[in-house]
Amino acid sequence: MFLKHIDLTTALRPSYLPDEDLLFVQDNVGLYEGKYKLPNHQNGQIYLTSHRICYIDKAEPRKYSVALDLKDIERYEFYGGFLKSSPKITLFPKANKRPSAHPQPTSLSRISSHHGTASLGHQSDRQPVAPALQASPVSTATWCPRYIPPEIAQQIRADTGSPGPYLTSSGIGSSNLENPESVKISFRGGGEKTFYERLKSCMAQRKWLLQSAPPIPKPSRPGDAVNGTSNGTDLEARDKPKIGGIAGLERRGQAMRKNNEIMIGSAFEDLEALMASAKEIVALAEDFARQVKGASGGLSASENALLADSVSQLGLITTKDIVGSSSGTDSLYHSELARTLAEFLTDDQRGVLKKAGGIISLVDLWAMFNRARGGVELVSPADFEKAVNLFEKLNLPLRLRTFKSGVKVVQSKDRTDEATIQAILSWLQDLREFPPEKEVPWDWHRFGRGVTARDVAERFGWSIGVAEEELEMAEERGVVCREEGIEGLKFWINFIDTGEGKGYKDPAEQEHEIIKARLKEAGFI
Amino acid sequence: MSDLQPQPQPSSSSSPPSSFTFPPEYHFPPFFTRQRNLTTHHAQLVKWSNLVLSYCRHHRILKLSMSGTSGFAMPSPNLTLPVVSSGGNSSSNNPGPYPPSLILGEVTAGSSVVEVDTSELFHNRKLNRRLALADIRSVIDFLRKDGRAEYVSTGKKEPSEGDLAWIYWRTPEEWAGLVEAWVDATGQRGSVLTVYELIEGDGTLGTEFHGLDQELLLKALNVLVKRGKAQIFGQEDSRGVKFF
Repeated sequence: MFLKHIDLTTALRPSYLPDEDLLFVQDNVGLYEGKYKLPNHQNGQIYLTSHRICYIDKAEPRKYSVALDLKDIERYEFYGGFLKSSPKITLFPKANKRPSAHPQPTSLSRISSHHGTASLGHQSDRQPVAPALQASPVSTATWCPRYIPPEIAQQIRADTGSPGPYLTSSGIGSSNLENPESVKISFRGGGEKTFYERLKSCMAQRKWLLQSAPPIPKPSRPGDAVNGTSNGTDLEARDKPKIGGIAGLERRGQAMRKNNEIMIGSAFEDLEALMASAKEIVALAEDFARQVKGASGGLSASENALLADSVSQLGLITTKDIVGSSSGTDSLYHSELARTLAEFLTDDQRGVLKKAGGIISLVDLWAMFNRARGGVELVSPADFEKAVNLFEKLNLPLRLRTFKSGVKVVQSKDRTDEATIQAILSWLQDLREFPPEKEVPWDWHRFGRGVTARDVAERFGWSIGVAEEELEMAEERGVVCREEGIEGLKFWINFIDTGEGKGYKDPAEQEHEIIKARLKEAGFI
Repeated sequence: MSDLQPQPQPSSSSSPPSSFTFPPEYHFPPFFTRQRNLTTHHAQLVKWSNLVLSYCRHHRILKLSMSGTSGFAMPSPNLTLPVVSSGGNSSSNNPGPYPPSLILGEVTAGSSVVEVDTSELFHNRKLNRRLALADIRSVIDFLRKDGRAEYVSTGKKEPSEGDLAWIYWRTPEEWAGLVEAWVDATGQRGSVLTVYELIEGDGTLGTEFHGLDQELLLKALNVLVKRGKAQIFGQEDSRGVKFF
C-alpha cells in the first residue's frame, strides 16, 4: 500500500524509524489523490524525513495521519501553482509492487482521469498490496497500485460527487479499490520549494537503502570487488574471484573510488549541517566553555551520561532550517519545538521529567535540552519560551506553570497543586509519628518538625528551587507556615491558623467578630 | 492525689493559680516568625493578642514594655513574676507596700505599681525563639485596633514611638464600670473621694481596682465624667472626685 496509517508519539508526531532523520516540516497542507481532495486529509502538517513523507492531520491526528515511504516513489513533480491553485508536489508511486510472480484473478476497475489521457483496467484485489498493471506510464496520470480503505473510498466518492472518475465494477472482488495514479501534496501555506529541494536530495541519497547496508567497505581489503551494484549484502556475500593484471587493478581502483564517494557524501552531509549553524556554534561554544569552567563539577556523571544518550537519539532535531516558513511567522517552528520538547521530556527511556521528580524549572530544561542537542541548532531562550507556552494549545501532556515569584516550571499535565500539597502534608504528618533524630525542645508528637526546602527537594527529588516554590505555594494555600531561625527557613504544618484565619476577607467584619469573641471571653457579653 | 490540690498560696485566698499556662502555640516554633500568608498572619495576630491579653490579665499587668522585657503590674497578693528592681525586698511573694525604689517615678507617683519581668512572654527560652520587636509592635497595633491597647504617652515623644503600651485587658470603660458599681454598692453616691483613697484606701481593699495605676484610674474616671456621673477637681497630687 502506498499511503499507510502511522503511529504517533505522545506529542502527536510520527514516531521515527531508527536512523530516520527529520528533514522538513510544513503545515497547512492538504492531500490529493489524483485530481481529488482526500477527505479528512485537508489540513495538516507534512513531515519529510529521510525515509518517509508523513501527513499528520490537525483535527484528528490519531485517526487520519498517513505516511508513504520514499522508496515507493517512482518519481515526483513540482507544480508551482497558478492563480488560486496552490503549489503542489505530485508523487508517483512505483509500480514495483505488482505481483509479478503470482498473477491473481483480478477485477477490472475502470478509471478515468480528468486529463482524459488514460482509462485503463488494472488488477486489484483485497490484498493490501493490490496487483495492478501499469498501463500508460507516459501520460501525466500514472496508474499505480494502491489500496484505499473502503470507508475512505466511499468518502471520496461522496466527497467529490463528480461523475465517473472512480468507477468500480463491483461485481468481482467487491471491495476492490481504485489505485491512485498519484498523491499530491498541496502547499497552501507555502514551503513547497524547500520541500521539493529537500525531497530531491533525499531521493538522491536514498538513505533507506543504508538501513540494511553493511558498513562502508574498507579499501584495504584487496580483492573486494564491486560489480557496479550498490547492494552491500551482495558485496559481502559474493565470492571474490581472483582477478589479476590490469583488470584487477582497475577493479580495485573502481572499488576505492566508490568507497571514497560514499565517505565524501556522508562527510559533506555533516558539513552542511555544521555550516548552517557555524556562527551560532562558535558563539555558543565559547559561552559554554566559559560556563563549564565556571561551574565545573556541577554536572553529575549520570547527567552527562543522560545527555550523551540523548544526543545519540537525533529525534531531537527541530531547527529553523527544517520547518518551512508559514506566512512569515515562526509559529510552526515553535509548535514543532514544543512537540520535540514534549517528546524529550516524556520519553520513557530518558525519563527526563521523571528523574526531576515530575517537575523541572524552565531554565534547567532549557540548558538540558540545548545540551542534548549536542551544541548544534541551539534554541534561543525566546523561542524556547514561546514553544513552552504552546503546550496547552497543542494539547500536549505537559503544562507550563508560573509560580508566584515568577519562576517558570514545566510539569506533566496531571500534576496538580492539590496533589503536591497532599504529598507534602502527608510527609509532614509522618514526621509526627517518627521521633526526630536529635532531641527537640518542642512537642514533636504534636507539631512534628520543620522542613527546609533542601529536605523537601531530597525527599521528592525536586530541584531546590522547585521545592522552595512548592513550599511557598503550600504556604500560600495556608497548609504550611514558616519559621525563620538560625537553621534557615523551615516549614511546618500550619498550627497557627486553626480556624482564626478562616474566612479572612473583610478585615472590618472579622475584627468585629473577634471583639465579640473577646468580649465573650472576658465575660462581658 | 494531693497534687490536685491548689498550690499553697502565699497569703491570699481569692487568687487565680499562680503560674500562667501558655497556650499550645507558644511552644510551636513558627509562632515566633511573622507569617507571610495573610490569612495565617491574621490568625497569628489573633493568637498573639489573645496571649498578650490573657498573660497581662493573669499577672495584672497594666503597661507592657514593647521591648518585651518588663511590664508594670498592679501589686497583687499572688504576684508571680520576678520584680525587675534589685531593691532590698525582692521577695515576689510578699504582698504589701513595696520599697520606694520600685515605685515608679513621675507617672505613677503615689501608686504602688511595680515593674515586673515579662521577658518570657515574647521569648520562649526553652525553644530559644523570640518574637521580633517589629512583630511585637504589630501585635500591639492589632490590639489597638480592637481598643485593647494604647501607647503610653510620655508627653515628649509621639505616642507611637514610646516603648510602653497600655494593655487593656479591661478597658477604661470597663474599669469605670467597676468603680461605678462599687460606688453604688457602698452607697457613696454624692460623696467626695480622693483619687488616693480609691487606689490605696482601705475602703477599696478587695476591689478589682485597688492598687490601680493612677493614670489609668483617671482615664476611667474621665469616662464617668463624660457620662456625667462624676466630677474631678483638685490639683495634681490631691485630686478629688465626686460621684453623682
